[in-house]
Amino acid sequence: MKYPSRLIVFFNLLWLILVGLGGCSSGLTAKAALFIDLQERTPLPAAAPAEVAPLRMGVAAILSPQGTMASYSALTEYLARKLGRPVDLVQRRTYAEFNELVERGEVDLAFVCTNAYVVGAETFGMELLLAPEIDGKSVYYSQLIVPVESAAQSMADLRGEVFAFTDPMSFTGYIYPLYLLRQLGETPETFFQRTFYTYSHDRAIEAVANGLADGAAVDSLVLDYALQREPEMAARLRIIYTSEAFGIPPVVVPPSLPPRQKAQVRNLLLTMHEEREGQIVLRQLGIDRFIEIEESAYDDIRRIVQFMRSQQ
Amino acid sequence: MSASNISTEDTLTVAPFPSRRLNRWAEMIWQVAGGVNIRTKILGMVLALTIMLGLAVTWQVRVVMARVFVDELENRGVSVVSDLASRSIDPILLNDTYALYLLLRDTVLNHPDVLYAFILNPEGEVLAHTFGDAGFPIALLNSEIVNAAEYNLHGVIRHWVYKSNEGLVHEMIAPIMEGKAGVVRLGLTERRLQAIVDAVTGQMLLTTLAVAVAGIIAAMILTWLLTRPILDLVRTTQAVGRGDLQVRAPHWANDEIGTLANAFNQMVTELEASQRAIAEKEQARHMLLKKLITAQEEERKRIARELHDGVGQVLTSLMVGIRTLQRSDASLQAERIDDLCRIAGETLEQVRTLSRELRPSLLDDLGLAAALERYASEFTRVYPEVQIDLHCALPRRLPTPIETALYRIVQEAMTNAARHSRATVISVLVSQRNGSVQAIVEDNGVGFDVEAVRRRQSSVGIFGMNERAELLGGTLDIESGSDGTTVYVEIPL
Repeated sequence: MKYPSRLIVFFNLLWLILVGLGGCSSGLTAKAALFIDLQERTPLPAAAPAEVAPLRMGVAAILSPQGTMASYSALTEYLARKLGRPVDLVQRRTYAEFNELVERGEVDLAFVCTNAYVVGAETFGMELLLAPEIDGKSVYYSQLIVPVESAAQSMADLRGEVFAFTDPMSFTGYIYPLYLLRQLGETPETFFQRTFYTYSHDRAIEAVANGLADGAAVDSLVLDYALQREPEMAARLRIIYTSEAFGIPPVVVPPSLPPRQKAQVRNLLLTMHEEREGQIVLRQLGIDRFIEIEESAYDDIRRIVQFMRSQQ
Repeated sequence: MSASNISTEDTLTVAPFPSRRLNRWAEMIWQVAGGVNIRTKILGMVLALTIMLGLAVTWQVRVVMARVFVDELENRGVSVVSDLASRSIDPILLNDTYALYLLLRDTVLNHPDVLYAFILNPEGEVLAHTFGDAGFPIALLNSEIVNAAEYNLHGVIRHWVYKSNEGLVHEMIAPIMEGKAGVVRLGLTERRLQAIVDAVTGQMLLTTLAVAVAGIIAAMILTWLLTRPILDLVRTTQAVGRGDLQVRAPHWANDEIGTLANAFNQMVTELEASQRAIAEKEQARHMLLKKLITAQEEERKRIARELHDGVGQVLTSLMVGIRTLQRSDASLQAERIDDLCRIAGETLEQVRTLSRELRPSLLDDLGLAAALERYASEFTRVYPEVQIDLHCALPRRLPTPIETALYRIVQEAMTNAARHSRATVISVLVSQRNGSVQAIVEDNGVGFDVEAVRRRQSSVGIFGMNERAELLGGTLDIESGSDGTTVYVEIPL
């Protein structure tokens, strides 16, 4: 009975080793110290209702959401400080969605595109508050850009190419290039090989710079700002056409905004450039100051919009 | 370690190490290893090697796989969370919670190791998560836990590990827009990779087990192959020990054991041959003894006859002559006395010859050379037709047993040559060199078949010469052909 007992001991040892190897399932990395019970679930606490109602500042998608955030966050912080209440930055993907926000009064203050203002004023009485001033002027242009290696010299040379529109409601990025085509007796469907929407001007610029589109019409303010911030972009783009001057995209308020609030915001924006802190914020936005603007500044745009509507 | 210490370990059969403890271990291992048969030893070696190799390789593969998988998991987590962070910017800024939820849900669905994902806004409120309707594991938002965690940094992405009821979880935390839009947190579980590692480990252990079983079978065949010839050898040895010299160990293979079997068989063969030689010699000795006794009787008979016929007759005639002298005339007496004196003289000569033949006193008195010269001269008288050519070059007297043996061997060889070979010349050469003494007896006779004579064991003379030489540790060779016979004797001094 000597050998069997030895064999049993041997196999027991072997078994222990095998189980020890196979059983170290404590993890591939054994360095965690904390234990968190993922099964213990509780409903998320409802967001506490703000004690002070925030000022909702809307910015239409002239820039991409990220670009907007980068440019306007300083303004939100400035306004919040000055007003003594939080300011929310509200964005939407398209101008149409954004106009709905203004119409329903879900924003208290809005930066919109010119056509969006023209349409908004017409349909639900969107109110003009102020407009930015740059170099003493409150105008902007629609500029036709192509990749630097493109041979095109005018809109007519872009026949059969790929064209990037910004937003179906954009004046500089959609209505004005359509207006140019109209003058050539063409429509996008007959003239271009293909078109697409980028839903913001900075993305349209990038699409052309990256060769995704053979041409695009963009807001001159956005283009200047982009070229100023990214000088290497200038080497990849060429401006082949600049439109006549149009009224600059305005600051508007919904018709439902209480007059006291409206006055408070207006005064704040109008006097921003008088103090150093405000100047920094304005520089961030690429403008000199906010000024009062006449309704008539947008008559040229209204005329072209009316004309394009009548053509459809 | 001093000599006294070593001497206290005399009980150890193996003590190869300078350390007492190591030697104890060696002793213990040897007690186990030495106490079992070869089958168990080979089995043990095969099993130990197989299992050690299998376990070592399995362990190594497991460690390497785990390391590679964890690295890969971390890299994947970093890239997934970076992707999430950049793709969630727009939905967050556009307040598109549903798009945010879809983004997270698709990420979890498309990456098998992703356990959950959720996004917090800069205020720490959950914007979207993938835990479903059942609620949110609120501990993940516990700032104490999150702050106490140890983070590895992959650029701006923080990585930490915690235990959970889902196993170990790697959580990646990436800021969205440098944190201005919030953070995304992604949990990855090791469970799937752990399962793969476990499956591979299990597979390798099974393979090890299978190889061990194959090893056991191979070891059994090997031990059978190794031990069968050894056991056969043992059986053969025992049979030989019992006296059976006909058995032979079977030759299994041309390996060391085969060589051993061959050597053993060779040994048994030689043993058998030497036993046969001993038996033959014994038989020859027995016959020699018988012939010696017969020869002794013959010699006694001859001496008795010589005494009776020679000396007895002469003494009788002397007695008769003396009686006649008594009664004869005085004139005739003188003549008669002369006759009697002559007869007495002849008788004396006969007695002397007889005495010399029995034992030449010269051998004792003057040594081998003188005795052989005397014998040669007498031999010439008996065999006048044979010419004897004797050279004896011995610087000094030899020990008596050697002188006697050589004298008798030379005497026998010369007698044989004269009697049987019809030789006309016999040459005898005795010399001493290199610590031994040699004698060569050569004749020009007709020769004889030495082997046949030896085989028949009929010649007591040749056998006697051999025996005399071998008794003194010497050798005797006989070469014979049609032109003569040569006898060589060499005896060490």
